Amino acid sequence: MILLTGGSACGKSSYAEGLCMAFPGPRYYLAAMRPAGEGGMEKIARHRAMRAGKGFETIERYTGYDHLKLPRRGTALLECICNLTANEMFDERGNITDPVRPVLDGVEALERQCDRLIVITNDVGSGGGDYEPAVREYVRALGEINAALARRASHVYELMCGIPLVLKGELLK
Amino acid sequence: MVLIVGGEGSGKRSFVKSLGYTQADLADGVLDGRPVVFHLERMVFQNPDGIDSLLPELEGKAAVLCNEVGSGVIPVDRDERLGREAVGRLCIQLAQRAGCVVRMVCGIPTVIKGQLP
Repeated sequence: MILLTGGSACGKSSYAEGLCMAFPGPRYYLAAMRPAGEGGMEKIARHRAMRAGKGFETIERYTGYDHLKLPRRGTALLECICNLTANEMFDERGNITDPVRPVLDGVEALERQCDRLIVITNDVGSGGGDYEPAVREYVRALGEINAALARRASHVYELMCGIPLVLKGELLK
Repeated sequence: MVLIVGGEGSGKRSFVKSLGYTQADLADGVLDGRPVVFHLERMVFQNPDGIDSLLPELEGKAAVLCNEVGSGVIPVDRDERLGREAVGRLCIQLAQRAGCVVRMVCGIPTVIKGQLP
């Protein structure tokens, strides 16, 4: 697994897609972002335009990746752990579930089904700290998940201004 | 052009002065004849749709300093969200054009692209 982290608009998605193109197909784009709200729709439209013509099969799935069956082995790009964590943690009725195990089980299940798994996350812990308790708990859980994923990953890069900084492994591209 | 990015108070201006620039060379969020511009993020937040028009002049600067604003929980507020995404996208374009990119942490510069002039 290759784990990519970084802040908003630091070039994670386009770098991830470039990595995927270097690996053999089939290529699956696993979209964890719910198409809700104005910001979500804008982001989904931009990412779709970026992937156009690159031979990705898009699979939208917001929770429960441990039950997903990929059609064939190949290269998969999961975007992103921040959305998946929020989806596993908060449901429509306002219930809160510990997201750590569901997210990690989902990623492990994906790893078993593909030759290359590229996972995008976000370093949400490096901002203001004055959040309401549920958001603080989300930030903490995401930090724990990121650390666990980085332990499993062969490569971890932080993207900064579109430049990959190697945190683990060597630079592949 | 050298692009210097880092959090608020991470030492970007002190570092650019160590490269030989003085306070009089530093323009605070405006594009004029001075060789160094800082608070790029403030210029972008004032007009997030105008980042492409900033590029040509920024490219001609000796150094461009920008706060890293993309970390932390993604804001619910649309303007805040679009502003920080515009800063990120502009920095990606500047980094592609820059001869050198420096990331500041705790006052320590790390060259992440190229070499210091």
